[in-house]
Amino acid sequence: MDSAFIPNGVRRCAPGKFLVVLAVAGAVLLWGVYAMLLCWFKGLNQTNMNNNYGFALWIWADLAVIALGGGAFFTGFLRYIIGKDELKNIVNYAVLIGFICYSSALLILAIDIGQPLRGWFIFWHANVHSMLTEVAFCLSCYFGVLTIEYIPLILENRGIDRVPFLHHLGHNMHDIMAVFAATGAFLSFFHQGSLGGVAGVLFGRPFSYREGFFIWPWTFFLFTWSAAAYGPCFTLLITKITEAVTGKKLVKDNVVELLAKISGWMMVTYIIAKIVDTLYWANVTAPSKGLTLMDFYSHNAFYGVWILILEIVIGGIIPAAILITDKGRKSPAARTTAFVLAVIGVCVNRWVMVLQVMAAPVMTFDKWALYYPSWQEVATTILPVAYGVILIAISYRYLPIFPQEPELNPID
Amino acid sequence: MKAEENHGNTKKFGMVIDLDVCTGCGSCMVACMAENNVPFRKDESDKLKSITWMRVYKLSNGKPYPETDICYLPRPCQHCEGHEGHSPCVSVCPATATDYDMQTGIVSQIYTRCFGCRYCMAACPYHARYFNWYDPVWPKGMEKYLNPDVSVRMRGVVEKCSFCIQRYQAAKNRAFMEGKADIEEGDYQTACTQACPAGAITFGDLNNPAHAVYKLKKQPNAFRLLERLGTNPKIYYLSSREWVRRAGDNYLKNEGPAKIG
Amino acid sequence: MKIDRRSFLSLGIGVAAGTAFSPLPWKLMDDVSIWTQNWPWTPVPAKGESTWVNSVCTLCPGSCGISVRKVDDRGVKIEGMKDHPVNQGGICSLGLAGLQLLYSPDRVKTPLKRAGKRGEGKWVSISWDQAISEVAGKLKELITGGQAHTVAGITGGGPNTLSRLFKRFLTAYGSPNFFNIPSIDDSYRLALQMMNGATPDATVGLDLENTDFILSFGCGLLDGWGSPVHMFKTNTAWRKTQARVIQIEPRLSRTAAKAYQWIPITPGSEGALALGIANVLITESLYRKDFVDNYTSGFEGVVNASGELQKGFKQHVLDNFSPKAVSELTGLDPAAITLLAREFAKAKAPIALFGRGQGKLPGSMDEALAIHALNMLMGAINQKGGIYALPTPDSQTWPVVPPDAVADSGVKEPRLDGASSDAYSRLNQLPPAVLSGKPYPLNALLVMEANPLYTMSNSKAVQEAFDKIPLVVSFSSFMDETAQNSDLILPNHIYLERQEDAPLPAGFSKPVISLSKAVFKPLHNTQHAGDTLILLAKGLGGSVAETLPWKDFEACLKQAMGDKMEPLQKTGYWVNTGAVFPDGKTTFTTPSGKFEFASSAFCPGFTPVKIEGDASYPLLLIPYDTMRLASGYAANPPFDTKILEETILLHQDGLIEINPKTAQSMGLSENDRVLLQTPRGQANVLIHLEEGIMPGVIALPRGLGHTAYDAYIAGKGVNLNGLTGPVADPISGLDAAWGIKAKLSKA
Ligand SMILES: Nc1nc2c(c(=O)[nH]1)N[C@H]1C(S)=C(S)[C@@H](COP(=O)(O)OP(=O)(O)OC[C@H]3O[C@@H](n4cnc5c(=O)[nH]c(N)nc54)[C@H](O)[C@@H]3O)O[C@@H]1N2
Ligand SMILES: Nc1nc2c(c(=O)[nH]1)N[C@H]1C(S)=C(S)[C@@H](COP(=O)(O)OP(=O)(O)OC[C@H]3O[C@@H](n4cnc5c(=O)[nH]c(N)nc54)[C@H](O)[C@@H]3O)O[C@H]1N2
Ligand code: SF4
Ligand code: SF4
Ligand code: SF4
Ligand code: SF4
Ligand code: SF4
Ligand SMILES: [Mo]
Repeated sequence: MDSAFIPNGVRRCAPGKFLVVLAVAGAVLLWGVYAMLLCWFKGLNQTNMNNNYGFALWIWADLAVIALGGGAFFTGFLRYIIGKDELKNIVNYAVLIGFICYSSALLILAIDIGQPLRGWFIFWHANVHSMLTEVAFCLSCYFGVLTIEYIPLILENRGIDRVPFLHHLGHNMHDIMAVFAATGAFLSFFHQGSLGGVAGVLFGRPFSYREGFFIWPWTFFLFTWSAAAYGPCFTLLITKITEAVTGKKLVKDNVVELLAKISGWMMVTYIIAKIVDTLYWANVTAPSKGLTLMDFYSHNAFYGVWILILEIVIGGIIPAAILITDKGRKSPAARTTAFVLAVIGVCVNRWVMVLQVMAAPVMTFDKWALYYPSWQEVATTILPVAYGVILIAISYRYLPIFPQEPELNPID
Repeated sequence: MKAEENHGNTKKFGMVIDLDVCTGCGSCMVACMAENNVPFRKDESDKLKSITWMRVYKLSNGKPYPETDICYLPRPCQHCEGHEGHSPCVSVCPATATDYDMQTGIVSQIYTRCFGCRYCMAACPYHARYFNWYDPVWPKGMEKYLNPDVSVRMRGVVEKCSFCIQRYQAAKNRAFMEGKADIEEGDYQTACTQACPAGAITFGDLNNPAHAVYKLKKQPNAFRLLERLGTNPKIYYLSSREWVRRAGDNYLKNEGPAKIG
Repeated sequence: MKIDRRSFLSLGIGVAAGTAFSPLPWKLMDDVSIWTQNWPWTPVPAKGESTWVNSVCTLCPGSCGISVRKVDDRGVKIEGMKDHPVNQGGICSLGLAGLQLLYSPDRVKTPLKRAGKRGEGKWVSISWDQAISEVAGKLKELITGGQAHTVAGITGGGPNTLSRLFKRFLTAYGSPNFFNIPSIDDSYRLALQMMNGATPDATVGLDLENTDFILSFGCGLLDGWGSPVHMFKTNTAWRKTQARVIQIEPRLSRTAAKAYQWIPITPGSEGALALGIANVLITESLYRKDFVDNYTSGFEGVVNASGELQKGFKQHVLDNFSPKAVSELTGLDPAAITLLAREFAKAKAPIALFGRGQGKLPGSMDEALAIHALNMLMGAINQKGGIYALPTPDSQTWPVVPPDAVADSGVKEPRLDGASSDAYSRLNQLPPAVLSGKPYPLNALLVMEANPLYTMSNSKAVQEAFDKIPLVVSFSSFMDETAQNSDLILPNHIYLERQEDAPLPAGFSKPVISLSKAVFKPLHNTQHAGDTLILLAKGLGGSVAETLPWKDFEACLKQAMGDKMEPLQKTGYWVNTGAVFPDGKTTFTTPSGKFEFASSAFCPGFTPVKIEGDASYPLLLIPYDTMRLASGYAANPPFDTKILEETILLHQDGLIEINPKTAQSMGLSENDRVLLQTPRGQANVLIHLEEGIMPGVIALPRGLGHTAYDAYIAGKGVNLNGLTGPVADPISGLDAAWGIKAKLSKA
């Protein structure tokens, strides 16, 4: 019966199988929703956050997911502004992933704040000096943009497309999508940056504090740059996973390689900037506050220099090196490895900028504080994953996400 | 406007805490909780979830027995001035729920405005800010002792030492009723200052040469916590012990507090 | 009209847009945020007229002046009373939390009679009439059976009017068994009695403000010793006058940390160190020769009962306590002992003090006499900066009523604690006496302002003794351990609800009496214990009623205070400015008429207190006191438990302090769970590594391990008294134990 809604020219699994996938993901989702309700009704005492860890697991997830969702704006930017036409074959998926990432981020923020019913104060009583204000505005606006970018895709559903009004709406929206893509890219540059600014402006926290340019700390630019660089890798990784799950090739190699190449070179430039930043911080900024690099990586049970190496070398230099070489890019195994490492790299960066910032002592008589999340935090952090799986499953089934799919998988 | 920008001519309340006489008894902590309607729970031993606007830290010189030495350090909110009132916490609050008052130098907190994002807590290097992880609950009947001059905070918002601002309001009201032009040093004293059995805390206007803090803060033994971060705090500490003064900030091996301006 | 898909959709969009642009969602959003600001379960304190009432805190012997802020009839804050001679506006964490005691829902709110088994916590409320007639009835029965002397009373109220009334009641009733909670105060009194010839009821005065060198043998001067806030103020003043505090104890207490110098020595060797210092003072002729020559006896020699001349203090010290000999006992370098003695002698007004921690236990008399001899050598007796035997304020203006025959014979029975007089209470001897039923069984126990079931050491024996007493009556409004294990509770008002006198705080230089007022009307159906005693007396009739003739306690107090009542009611305190202090030159009322270093009856020596435990217990467990823990009759209110360090209490577990070296040798690390065993008991504790404690010594705080009061203190940590036992001092018979041997094993 749902075959009426399945795009033309593609094959989808049996409804039963589809429902099983939905049910499994749905169960995880419900677990997350239960935890979320606990947080809302009983308060944040359901988490293991504390006065040292005002920001914890899910804020990391938030930042990570936004960085990974950066594939949407950057692919959009390349496609619509720079005019890399091939990318039209992956931009839909990039938008969908971005939509999932950003809606998840907003949901997490709604769980994270102590007074969700007053969340709108951030807009109403906005403080222009606060990076978080900038984040809130840009994030919400960009989510609006992503929604607008996602809608035409929904309207392309076979069933919906039959309604003339919606057909025209979808068509008209397509025509002006470049405007939104440009707006989205602009907004994204800012909020990615302001997320970086969140930690960078904390002049009371020498671990994260960075000098910078005008009102922005260097982390502002590093975050934007890293989201642009690493986001596409995530899009490509999810694409790869989708291909593996569906057992079909969905995007042509030249498209993948193009995006991977751009991403690789972005990573090269980013990681150089990151290394320069780290060196300056270690040799100038931190010593001016009486601290040495090793103060941040010793005297505790978890944070050693390994994390710096994991972030910069394993999660940065190596994937960048793979992706900028022809050989690396062309080898599916090497390429996928690079995607995975890149995703780890950017996630570690965001982890460090949220959790290690909170863990490192500032007063000499403070101790390192380590924390582990409660199940409620884990559940609410996994919730978006389940939600993402569901949304991807539904979108994939009913929407022409991958324009090259019929060509690559002809139905005889 | 001019006067506002020039914080130098307005009041600037602050404290000088003499660590040589502080005994770590904790009276200041209880005085603060009793004055400011701070709640309590059955288990408060997880200090990372416990609300203590005033917290007394125990510092150690780290030497083995019998060379060991300890010192207690009471830590209220430092009411950081930062640079032109941009204290670490105030400038980051997205909802303007905390404010730097240019007339008094007090960093205030508006509980009904705060929506609990905890960004300010991340910003404060002194751990002076506390989140209400729980609903405040008093055993039946005990809510009778709550101070009507201080609002009780709800779950989900951040709170911190206010320099007992209600006492400043009351002092100003009294002065007005009595036709006085201004309040005097003794008219406005914080609860912790008054209670301290050792008399370790001195409170007053750091800008007023007639106030005791004005002179005390200039003593050679005076220092502030994490001065090098540029937080510009209004709590000064006194200690005759070099290792205590050094513990007030981070120093590289070749540096000493004396060398730092 | 037919609704097709298109118009349905348009309608939907229209409605959505309409709603969005209407005020409705915005208004709702606003309302909802306002609701979060006024959650009905977050209390809003009522406004009202604000007033201040001055009174006195009697939660500890400190007797600080307090100002209570009231808003209408609610008490909202307790502060230190400015200008009060004791505390000068300062106040401790316990005093500050007093309103949590007042408003505690767990108070005993009405007379209670036990319903279930003892200690089971089942009670029925009874009327005051019934409560009085039940107790009076039982007491009458005992009189009839000739058993009046088998009744005992314990009070922790100190030498105030209520205590005196209680004692008077028991005496008139016919019981010799009136007990105070003993403390270091008793040892001071006894030392002054033996060496200075003070009367047993004299109060110890210390002119600490005027000393410039304080040799403290483990006194927790900043941990609640004496009148705690007063001591804090004094210590701050010492900073200004550059007086030096030398703290001698094996653990880096707060006092030690603030001291000019911390000298850790082997616990138990304090007396030896004192005599070692005396040795140097004598050898190097550093003592005040004029004073010793003119006003003392027993220094050069003592003539014993048979007329022979024996070695005096001097020779005894020279023979046995050379720095080298003392070094072996204390673990201190001989040079350090000599240096310390010289510093002590160099001071203008030095003083040596004894009484470990808060002075909760009387301690060794040998040690007390040895330390007091140092004061003597420096002439710090009855003079500026020294130690005095202060005249007892004359408040005994009550009529003398001759006892009836029952009372007369009853009070002549031996005391259950074996003490020959009632000047000192050997409370530690009570449990064995009760358990053995010798010299006679204890048939009824009345407990007022004390919680012996918790505060007495060897908890197990105390509990067993309690179980043997047929009738236990508590006067407590706190559901403390003793109240919980009693048969009847006749709840007193708590200190903020009643009027009474607070006597001279310990270690004060001037006679001060303060008046504690009824700041609040009693919250519950409680009754002033003084009124309860008077009603009980009336119920008993006869000479008991005649001996307590007042219509109520207020009348009794008025008569006791006499002309002091007026100034007391006016200012809240009375300072005896006209008091005539004994001076150093007037004769002492000792047999020799001089200050006695030694007599035929005693000579300060060093007989170490025999600490319990054999070689299978390799460690020494010592108690310590902290200002953040109430360990007496009052237990910690919630605020005070909140400020306890996580190195003392972690969730429900108490932590034991141990030197990292000792811990390492046993393979123990921070927060390890261990079984702590002593000859008297065992408990599970967590390890806390602390550099500031002597290797081989472990320490637990007093004040935890309650099984009663409320959920904010009960069940947390370990009651030290369950692990220790008393050691009877050979001179005083009071408890001289300062620790016990112990072992730790991984739990
Ligand atoms: N109103 C009030 N006052 C209090 C308290 C209280 O709850 N209410 N608490 C009190 C507490 S807990 C303490 S520890 C005290 C501190 O009181 P402290 O001064 O520490 O008193 P104690 O050691 O009880 O007794 C000291 C004096 O009491 C007298 N005394 C003791 N027993 C007897 C006796 O049997 N007969 C005679 N004639 N005199 C005796 C002696 O003269 C002795 O010198 O003060 C506190 N004062
Ligand atoms: N230092 C000293 N100790 C004494 C006496 C004394 O005169 N001086 N008197 C002794 C006598 S006579 C008796 S009967 C007993 C009475 O002994 P109890 O009746 O058994 O006890 P209280 O003295 O009523 O108990 C008051 C409690 O308050 C606590 N406390 C005191 N100051 C502070 C503080 O600042 N903060 C906190 N949190 N707690 C505090 C103490 O730990 C003490 O346990 O006490 C004895 N101990
Ligand atoms: S009350 Fe005074 S002495 Fe006690 S901890 Fe606070 S500052 Fe120190
Ligand atoms: S101490 Fe912390 S909370 Fe207080 S003003 Fe400074 S940064 Fe803000
Ligand atoms: S928690 Fe409250 S005060 Fe702090 S930054 Fe957020 S809104 Fe502002
Ligand atoms: S100044 Fe007032 S609010 Fe701040 S710590 Fe002291 S008592 Fe608390
Ligand atoms: S020291 Fe004692 S008398 Fe003074 S306030 Fe504290 S508990 Fe009350
Ligand atoms: Mo007492």
